[in-house]
Amino acid sequence: MSPDTVPAAGFDRELGLDELLRSVDRARLADALVALLGTGLRLSDVRGRELLARGEVHGGVRLPVRGEMEPIGYLECDATEAQAAAAVVLLQWILRANARYLMASELHLQAVHEDYAELQRRHAALQESEARYRELALHLEQRVAEQVQTIEATQRRLYQSEKLASVGQLAAGVAHEINNPIGFIASNLNTAQGYLQRLGHWAEQLPAAPDLAAVQQAWAAADLGFVLQDFSDLIDESRSGAARVARIVADLKGFSRVDQGGEEAADINAIIRQVCNVAEGQIRGRLAPVFVLGEVPPLRCNAAQLGQVILNLLLNAADAVTPPGVVTFETAVAQGQLRLRVHDNGGGIPPTVLPRIFDPFFTTKEVGRGTGLGLTVSNDIVRAHGGRIEVDSRPGAGTTFTVWLPLR
Amino acid sequence: MADYEAEAGRITIKLVYYGPAQSGKTTNLMRLHDLLQPEMKGEMMTLETHNDRTLFFDLLPLGITAPSGLLIKFKLFTVPGQVQHDSTRKAVLSRADGVVFVADSQRAQSVNNGAAFENLAENAARVGLDFERLPLVVQFNKRDLPGVLAEEEILARWQGARWPVVFSTALIGCGVVETLRALLEQVYDAIDGQMQLSAVHGLTRPAFVDAAAGLAP
Ligand SMILES: Nc1nc2c(ncn2[C@@H]2O[C@H](COP(=O)(O)OP(=O)(O)OP(=O)(O)O)[C@@H](O)[C@H]2O)c(=O)[nH]1
Ligand SMILES: Nc1ncnc2c1ncn2[C@@H]1O[C@H](COP(=O)(O)OP(=O)(O)O)[C@@H](O)[C@H]1O
Ligand SMILES: [Mg+2]
Ligand SMILES: [Mg+2]
Repeated sequence: MSPDTVPAAGFDRELGLDELLRSVDRARLADALVALLGTGLRLSDVRGRELLARGEVHGGVRLPVRGEMEPIGYLECDATEAQAAAAVVLLQWILRANARYLMASELHLQAVHEDYAELQRRHAALQESEARYRELALHLEQRVAEQVQTIEATQRRLYQSEKLASVGQLAAGVAHEINNPIGFIASNLNTAQGYLQRLGHWAEQLPAAPDLAAVQQAWAAADLGFVLQDFSDLIDESRSGAARVARIVADLKGFSRVDQGGEEAADINAIIRQVCNVAEGQIRGRLAPVFVLGEVPPLRCNAAQLGQVILNLLLNAADAVTPPGVVTFETAVAQGQLRLRVHDNGGGIPPTVLPRIFDPFFTTKEVGRGTGLGLTVSNDIVRAHGGRIEVDSRPGAGTTFTVWLPLR
Repeated sequence: MADYEAEAGRITIKLVYYGPAQSGKTTNLMRLHDLLQPEMKGEMMTLETHNDRTLFFDLLPLGITAPSGLLIKFKLFTVPGQVQHDSTRKAVLSRADGVVFVADSQRAQSVNNGAAFENLAENAARVGLDFERLPLVVQFNKRDLPGVLAEEEILARWQGARWPVVFSTALIGCGVVETLRALLEQVYDAIDGQMQLSAVHGLTRPAFVDAAAGLAP
């Protein structure tokens, strides 16, 4: 700590005679001394400077006038020693009273000055800490910016992981979907092979057959009328199964472009239908989609990403309803934007849960079922498209997610 | 630092009695005024309130003359001990050449002593005194009272410190001169080099101490 500024001369400095007489009415003092001494007088300081003089002084007596201790001046007069000494005592009383007053008042002033200096010091300290806080705040902003970057990076990773999770879910569903028709196509083909053998066997007998009746009898014995009919059914069934697989694969192709996040002019209605097709296996028996799709212009967007948003909303609806539930997709142009509403007649979202549904990892679903990332990622995607997601939900009345996307 | 006025042929040494309220600072000066018989002794100036509390300071001027003719003036000050007069205390302390810290020996006053000592160190720093080098004597006063800390206890506590500890009963003048002498010895050492007391003015340390704190016959 640097020492405070201390006045060069303080209350404790040596006080000269001149200074001690400053507040005294010198004329009246001289009058009093003359009356006491009965002669002229001369009062001078230690340097010989005359401070008080009255009448003639012929150098009779010269006595020291003491301040604290040592002489600070001399009184000269022509009175007796005793008279002169009495005058000096009187004078010293006056001087001492003045010294007392001067010292006390100067010390007081000095103390007040100190108090003021102390105040200033506190003020300075305050300013310093204020500056520190300002710096800290600045620093804080920087830290926040860094933190935001970290969070953004984390979000991107989350997005990736949710994408993987939903793609994984989808893949499982799709596998199941494809497995089914493939399974019955395979079994149909087996049956068809058996039928072919039976037909071949009958045909082998044809050249040696005695008559038509024998041929007909063999036909009937092998129940080939049924075989022919069933064969045709098997092929029909297999063809529709194959068509179904082909459709799933086609839709999947569209959906799997999640990674090639390029912008394109896309038909949102088509994306909705595609997603529902792909996810059909996962929602079947739980939820029936209803489409109220309006005339909407093509939207410049990342179709794969929007498909993911729709899939998330669809799967959430499926989880929310008590089967058989209904999810309604409704598209329209409103307020110059594309509006997609996804309404379900599920249990709704309790008010306590509602503010948190977009939080990363927030899920009310059992472990392993919910990731708590679906809405987080969906929200990210929609925001990246310059849009926003609104929720309207009351327990018992179902839930409506409204996605607004600007038409550029 | 002691004040040398070549023109007046005088140095002035400022000694300050510091300590908690009511520890006996003013009483120390009053007894010194009675007991000491130096070459010169001024009247004691006290500035007390009606109930004996020092409001600004007390001042006792003493003087001695070195063989060289140099006048050495001692100004013994007391500070007001009451906490609220800190700025006054600080102003009185400034430019001190030595300090007597008057502590109250009563056990119940230990905390006040500690706080006052810390305050001394702080204020010394604030007025630019090097506390580590400042001549200082610690006086434990009021030894006559019951309920005081035992001498051994006090000595044990101050063992690590470099300052001499003196026990006193200022009320009857016991230990006050001893305290002053202990301070004067340190002060002499602190200023001898610069003031050339022995080399130029022919004043040895014992002579310095005896002259200033010589007892009345
Ligand atoms: N019993 C006893 N009382 C003492 C002694 N020294 C001083 N006192 C008393 O303690 C009281 C305070 O003494 P002061 O000398 O006025 O104390 P101070 O340190 O100047 O106090 P402040 O001016 O308020 O800081 C007075 O009543 C003194 O008589 C002592 O050695 N023994
Ligand atoms: N349609 C809905 N109906 C009721 N609750 C919903 C609906 N959609 C989302 N929620 C609630 O929001 C939570 C978070 O959803 P989401 O982010 O998709 O994570 P997850 O589906 O993995 O739980 C869900 O756990 C659920 O509590
Ligand atoms: Mg979800
Ligand atoms: Mg006092």
